[in-house]
Amino acid sequence: MKKLLWTICLLGILFPPKFGLKVQHDGISAKNGHGMLEKKESSRSNLENYDYTKYHPIEEIYKWMSQIEERYSEVVTQHFLGMTYKARPMYYLKISEPTSTLKKIFWMDCGIHAREWITPAFCQWFVKEILQNYKTDPRISRFLRKVDFYILPVLNIDGYVYSWRKDRFWRKSRSSHNNGTCFGTDLNRNFNISWCNVGASKNCTHQTFCGTGPVSESETKAVSSFIEDKKDSILCYLTIHSYGQFILTPYSFTKTKPSNYDELIRIGQKAAKELKAKHGSNYKVGSTSDMLYFTSGNSRDWAYHIGIPFAYTFELRDNGTYKFTLPEDQIQPTCEETMAAVLSIYDDIYEREWGFN
Amino acid sequence: MLARRRPAGPGPTALLLVALLAAEARASWLIRRPLSPSGPELRQAARAALHFFNYRAASPSTVRVLKEVLNGTALIREEGENIKVAFSIESYRTENSQLGTCSALVGFKDHKSRPTVNISCTPLLDQKERKKEDYKLYKQIKQLETPPFETTIPGKLGDMDPSLQPLWELAMIGNSFLMWEKTTSTSSYYYVQQITNIKKWIRPDDFIILHYRLLLHEFRTQEIISCHLHLVWHPEKPSKTQYHCQDSGTQENGSGNSEGSGFL
Repeated sequence: MKKLLWTICLLGILFPPKFGLKVQHDGISAKNGHGMLEKKESSRSNLENYDYTKYHPIEEIYKWMSQIEERYSEVVTQHFLGMTYKARPMYYLKISEPTSTLKKIFWMDCGIHAREWITPAFCQWFVKEILQNYKTDPRISRFLRKVDFYILPVLNIDGYVYSWRKDRFWRKSRSSHNNGTCFGTDLNRNFNISWCNVGASKNCTHQTFCGTGPVSESETKAVSSFIEDKKDSILCYLTIHSYGQFILTPYSFTKTKPSNYDELIRIGQKAAKELKAKHGSNYKVGSTSDMLYFTSGNSRDWAYHIGIPFAYTFELRDNGTYKFTLPEDQIQPTCEETMAAVLSIYDDIYEREWGFN
Repeated sequence: MLARRRPAGPGPTALLLVALLAAEARASWLIRRPLSPSGPELRQAARAALHFFNYRAASPSTVRVLKEVLNGTALIREEGENIKVAFSIESYRTENSQLGTCSALVGFKDHKSRPTVNISCTPLLDQKERKKEDYKLYKQIKQLETPPFETTIPGKLGDMDPSLQPLWELAMIGNSFLMWEKTTSTSSYYYVQQITNIKKWIRPDDFIILHYRLLLHEFRTQEIISCHLHLVWHPEKPSKTQYHCQDSGTQENGSGNSEGSGFL
């Protein structure tokens, strides 16, 4: 019996595709993507081995957040924001240099739409860059003298999980409607700003379903009550999406321009220029209603509306070639160029607020 | 062409007539409207034009991708508008890093699909090279073993096995036809996210038949639409595309003929 068990183990180790444990994800076999779906982190899964140029499932992102907090405990704390519909905890990372100064806040969230995998990848990249360079890079260290960074790597955790396990192109949350016949709300149509007036659907089968009411979703509640609470300190609200290659200012629900529109555009265009200098990518800058289409109930418009002066939506790569399934070999260049844009925006806001100190 | 009517006299009727006049004049004038190169209208027109070009050229080795809109104007007609647009393109095969430009006149009829397109583009390769590349792809596809039914191109991680790339490039001919047909002026635009359930066979007259399911991403509504597409292709002969889509419950069918490399 023992010999048989050992033989089977040996075969499983030597010929995993034939005899090994194969995890079957609904509709997608291990033959796709060369078995990447069941590729687990090696047993020595610590921060030094974390590959920022690969897409990570939520379990690995949770683990990464704890490891980041532990490794950079002098500046990083992990905080609970709220629960998802399926009772998964939402965590954000706060990067803060402990001083007695009252700091302003730069907020960034990623993964509000499940299928936009490049966005959580960018949030992780951003955190890594700040933490690896804050001691040596004067540009970053000056930010930390006056500002705390708050980063929410995955806002729509339930949707993200669903896009890994069941439907790669899922967009919404996973809340249940109509007696369990209909699932998910578009979290970026669920915020309390001109809710469901345009570019959103009251039909729960649609991808832009705005929910049963403004802020009906637990994820939206968690984010908006937090931001509402801290709005006097938040200088900049960034929300990261894909795809399309845009830097978008308010508003989406009207063509009327925000009061500081010219400044928002100027800052956005400088950021797009810095971005293009990295790898040549063309990003277009403008208000969502001018550049794309009308929508209402999105997080960025809401954040701006409650008083956060600088609010942008980023739409990352690409331009229609790979769309949501941006290949992993583009993660690094995308993150590098986006980083350049974000830091440029932060520079402009910083100098406006505190001069050139 | 100014006033075609004279106001009958002063008073409220004058106002009414002025209003009518303005409405009538607008309808019969060709109003020229400058458009921003980064705005959605020119991008929409450029996309529609390029889809049409790629489908008509039916050359999988020289599929073009929109790079940047350069300039353009809209000419407003009674039933819609004509958009004149110039844009830069690059080869889908990024390793070739070939660039080019196109200029097109795209006619949108109010809310109707199948915009009329008149387009010319600079060549990416010379005629001989292109024929050679298309034949190379033709041979590759002929020799290729049909991938398993559930294989998706690209994969979940955006990965594409190099051996499957010719299938994706050929599918772009059919996909371009579909995307062109469905494009309207009112900012509905489409990209093919993925192809799967691929069936391939060779007809006795040496045409390649490709039949597959595709997922179409509609940008404005963010919906993912499932379609089936049937493509008949040969490097030097006119090709044919047929499709049907499950578009929010209703079925949409379309079919069309593309020219083969004779177009260029």
